[in-house]
Amino acid sequence: MTPALQVEGLGKIYGPGGAADVAGTGPDHGRVVSPSSGGVVAAWDVSFSVGAGEALGIIGESGSGKSTVLRCICGDETPTAGSIRLACVDGGGRDLTELGASARRALRIDRLAVVYQDPAEGLDLRLSAGGNVAERLTAAGWRNFGGIRSRAAELMRRTDVPLDRMDDPVKEFSGGMRQRVQLAKALANNPPVVLLDEPTTGLDASVAAAVLDLIRDLLDELGVAAVVVSHDFSVIELLTQRALVMQHGRVVEAGLTDQLLEDPQHPYSQRLVGAARG
Amino acid sequence: MAERPEPVLQVRDLHKSFVLHAIGGRRIEALRGIDLELYPGEHVALVGSSGAGKSTLLKSIYRTYLPDRGEVWLRPDGRDPVDLLSLDERSLAARRVREIGYVSQFLRSEPRRGVLDSVTRAGRRRGLTPDDAAEAARRMLQRLGIGEALWGTFPTLLSGGEKQRVNLAAGIICPPPVLLLDEPISALDPANRDAVLELIAELTDGGTSVLAVFHDLAAIERLADRVIRLDGGRVASVGRPTDILTELTASIGAHR
Repeated sequence: MTPALQVEGLGKIYGPGGAADVAGTGPDHGRVVSPSSGGVVAAWDVSFSVGAGEALGIIGESGSGKSTVLRCICGDETPTAGSIRLACVDGGGRDLTELGASARRALRIDRLAVVYQDPAEGLDLRLSAGGNVAERLTAAGWRNFGGIRSRAAELMRRTDVPLDRMDDPVKEFSGGMRQRVQLAKALANNPPVVLLDEPTTGLDASVAAAVLDLIRDLLDELGVAAVVVSHDFSVIELLTQRALVMQHGRVVEAGLTDQLLEDPQHPYSQRLVGAARG
Repeated sequence: MAERPEPVLQVRDLHKSFVLHAIGGRRIEALRGIDLELYPGEHVALVGSSGAGKSTLLKSIYRTYLPDRGEVWLRPDGRDPVDLLSLDERSLAARRVREIGYVSQFLRSEPRRGVLDSVTRAGRRRGLTPDDAAEAARRMLQRLGIGEALWGTFPTLLSGGEKQRVNLAAGIICPPPVLLLDEPISALDPANRDAVLELIAELTDGGTSVLAVFHDLAAIERLADRVIRLDGGRVASVGRPTDILTELTASIGAHR
């Protein structure tokens, strides 16, 4: 059976050199910048799969390449190497990196949703909360005003956005509330795969906790395949069963989340856990 | 003995070391070739001095610790045995839900989730319907002396003994065929301790197989069918509780 999301040999290099830039970069060399060309090897040789109802974490410090991986999967970036397959696109027979830009964008409507750290990336802040959700629904072909309205209200309820704020522009919302609206929009068309990039980073601790709890409940209930990118072990621990550790653009360790936390093998993972645990 | 059923859990030549990169790659050999069997409905207790490898063994079987080598064969309900150490992570995660459980002495509950909700969700994950899970959770909490007044409280706010009982309730609701118990009564007062021991005895009566670490020798005498004594990461002896506990007491005496 094809997993909901399958990523193989994914790589992203900024700069002219292409795959030749990989030499001399990575954890063994302590750098992502190619010594020969100056190209940046942001991610290389990243492979994993995620099944329905499962959440995979990607953890690492900033600059480790974890967000690059996510952006390559969702189509914000074009990968230099590797393949990306979704069970819901030709049964996994189609490599998304071969699709054109418009076909890639179309997947974002109802197959592959993204929740960004910065709500401004996932939302139009000038529009109302309901308008943002409606935009996603109409893109998917919803035409009946009453139907759109009631689906938007249902999503607001589900993500704890007060219904009386539904028609207010999102720019008037607090950070935590914006993140809830972003979740509502991402989930509007029941996408089978959801990518979350530092979804609670930058929020006040108590607000972050509430958004985190909401994400956890949604993952529990919706049976989606999720990828959660975070620098924060407590987020990965709460939301995921398996995880990858990235450093200098490479996966240095992969395992069950509890094993990565209690018995990390790689020196870098040990340092990360040590720092998180005090 | 010929009639003896196949073991539900079989550990072969299990090795585990820890390499601490922060202190110059120092290697600590924690398990040095463990063999053991656990039969259906059996309660086997692990004993040994601190550092002998008891908890490491439980965590290595469950793969919270990544063993260096060896085999851990799980044979749930007479189906084909599977080596947990060679399973891919996704398959292992699935088996952990239904076939093998681990209960820590420390609270492992999700933050900001009430007591009843936490235990109910544990039952849901093991396949109970929402109603059955809620009913089983209430019954379990009541038996463990966690009163209704605490059911809406976050487990992290409870006392040490209450946390431990909530943890146990979540661990043994709708129990999997193999349970690994890591000092589940270390923080309990005598009355609650007895309630827990009674519950664990009922589990094995019901066919669950238990591999446990208790510091409390009276608990071991009451519950265990067999005792395995570990020393320096190896099996030092295996036998009936009275024999091994006598031996253990003698060995502790010898160190003095």
